[in-house]
Amino acid sequence: MTTLKTACTALALIMPLTAAAEGVELTLWHMEQPPHRVARLQELIDAFNAGHDGVTVTQAPQNWGEIYAKAPAALAAGVGPDIMFVTPDFVPILKQVRDIPSVQEFVAEQDAKHDFIDSAVEAYSYQDGVWAVPLYNMAMNLWYRKGDLAEAGIEVPKTWAELQSAAETLSKDGVYGLGLPANKQLYTDQTVYSFMVNGGATEIYNADGSLRFDNPETVESYTTYTNLQKLSPPDSTSWTWGEAEACFISESCGMILQFSVITGYDTQGAGDPADLGVAPIPAASADDESNTIAYANAGLILSEDEAERAAAQDFLAFLLEPENYGRFLNMEPGLFMPLTATGAEAESFWTEPLTAKYREQIEQIIANSQNGQLFGFTSGRTFPSIAAISAQNLIAETLQDIVVRGNTPADAVAAGQALMVEAAAD
Amino acid sequence: MRRSWQMNILLALSLAFLCLLILLPFWWVVSSSFKEPQEIISRSPTMVPHSFTLQHFQKLLSSSAYPTYMLNSLIVSTISAIITLMLAVPAAYAFFRMHFPGREVMYRTILLAYAFPSIVVLIPLFGMFVKLGLVDTLTGLVIINVTFALPFSIWMLRSFFAGLPKEIEEAAVMDGASTLVILRRVMIPLITPGIASVGIFAFILSWTEYVFTSVLIVSDAKRTVPVGFSGIIGQYQIDWGMLLAGASFAVLPVIILFSLVGRWFVGGLTEGAVK
Repeated sequence: MTTLKTACTALALIMPLTAAAEGVELTLWHMEQPPHRVARLQELIDAFNAGHDGVTVTQAPQNWGEIYAKAPAALAAGVGPDIMFVTPDFVPILKQVRDIPSVQEFVAEQDAKHDFIDSAVEAYSYQDGVWAVPLYNMAMNLWYRKGDLAEAGIEVPKTWAELQSAAETLSKDGVYGLGLPANKQLYTDQTVYSFMVNGGATEIYNADGSLRFDNPETVESYTTYTNLQKLSPPDSTSWTWGEAEACFISESCGMILQFSVITGYDTQGAGDPADLGVAPIPAASADDESNTIAYANAGLILSEDEAERAAAQDFLAFLLEPENYGRFLNMEPGLFMPLTATGAEAESFWTEPLTAKYREQIEQIIANSQNGQLFGFTSGRTFPSIAAISAQNLIAETLQDIVVRGNTPADAVAAGQALMVEAAAD
Repeated sequence: MRRSWQMNILLALSLAFLCLLILLPFWWVVSSSFKEPQEIISRSPTMVPHSFTLQHFQKLLSSSAYPTYMLNSLIVSTISAIITLMLAVPAAYAFFRMHFPGREVMYRTILLAYAFPSIVVLIPLFGMFVKLGLVDTLTGLVIINVTFALPFSIWMLRSFFAGLPKEIEEAAVMDGASTLVILRRVMIPLITPGIASVGIFAFILSWTEYVFTSVLIVSDAKRTVPVGFSGIIGQYQIDWGMLLAGASFAVLPVIILFSLVGRWFVGGLTEGAVK
């Protein structure tokens, strides 16, 4: 009996040491599934694991299509990830499932070190906390071919009126002047909001959380978009990003709104950096500053364990270090843009062959992204219902009400607000 | 009765039109997977390739986990089809050739599995599978596939059993055969076309299953073709060549299966079974 007690005592003493020696294991979920992105992330994860004894990060790429159902279910069942790369609209959904601690202090520390773009931090700052660590940016831009504009004798459009005129001029010989989607899908949400944000309709909510979608600025933005959309190919009512990119690369569309076309243009199109043009989304009038929609993707720490949270912060800090950050962003060259000042200057970013080849375009995208906003995540006016509004693509549905069902912009926007109120109530 | 030549021409034209309608998309996908990227998205689509490359297949197989997805799909679909057949044949025999209390209610009830859209049961099922340790396992996928293929498979076999004359069974009973022997030695050989149909149905259902696999599988190494493939295509930027190469590969096993089992789709196997 004494021997048994001694053995149990010894075991009890050894157990914690064994647990500590086992180290911290972190699972990272992200939606960057294309093989080259997974491979690049794995290189960085391997480098981190090699330099951090006792911490092992593993990645499990997920699909955007199901993640909105899968992640909450996995978290609720206790089999979710420890870290997840998210967009701002995802955070309110996950916050409803799990009590996520604020990372305000850590973000402030990284901000002091690397200088985040303010709007990126703002997108995750609400309800007295900062909920995720900004990592990489995607901003919508106007893409065109310099040669086409020069041949048509037109300047790069800076206003809505100039855009309309340029699109009409480029619409000839089977070419559609401007490719704009009208699908009930996220891409259309993004392109429509790119007009709203330039037309004074940036805010979806009032400060008290009530919806202010139905206002004259929104109606004007939809009117302009609808007029321009008439110059798009007939199948644009079912477009997502890929179809728009193909339309531009195949020279069927004179201009498009897209985050980036660089990889596709280089591998499937002309591949001529001297001819590829990128500009800010045109403003409503010459007096206005150009704005755009931007998705600041971030690292969300979901683990509730203190040691795991500390290790997760180490991993995210590792990614933000300039020597790693450029390689991280270049998992998809030309698409993912830096969110830090140090990252925008990092040698590791600019030495990637494709990034170096299209440096002029990428510098313009970075400049455009400085004014990036995201619907429902502006001015600290973020409320949980934005998750439902975003998930149901109600901004795009409002456009379909005009383009497909033939309603007037004013009626469609009023109906859109009613749908948003209904979604918020649910 | 002989058909008029006008009717023959009409039938031939209808057949040609149907073939064109069905085969044209396949032709476009397969032929385009061998085109250079620029030709794939060209403003003027080419039905006959003007260029030839294997780069999309090479990229698909070397830089992605597509071969792993294919292997997983083959394992899951084959096992699902076999288990479905093993359960559906005796169940259908019991439902449609035997008499027991509650038979009518039971065989109508099994179709209730189709009354609920899969998305409705997805989340509760996920929670249940977590408790059973079946999340992120191929076993879990087989269970799901069999669960959803089985009810319709039983119903499919009904018409095949119904087509068999009772006299065959009665003759076997008079010869002293037990129920199992009648099923194994008499019935199964006579419903081979039905078994082949159900096998193909269960295989294709499992091969194309997306919703449950996308949620129940977490790691890349366990993904099947539909889910894994949709991921490697990308969201914002699409590699059209790789997409077409993957789509061409994805239909191969189904075509091979049809070519192997298709010969069983001949009717009249029961002709002459009764003397």
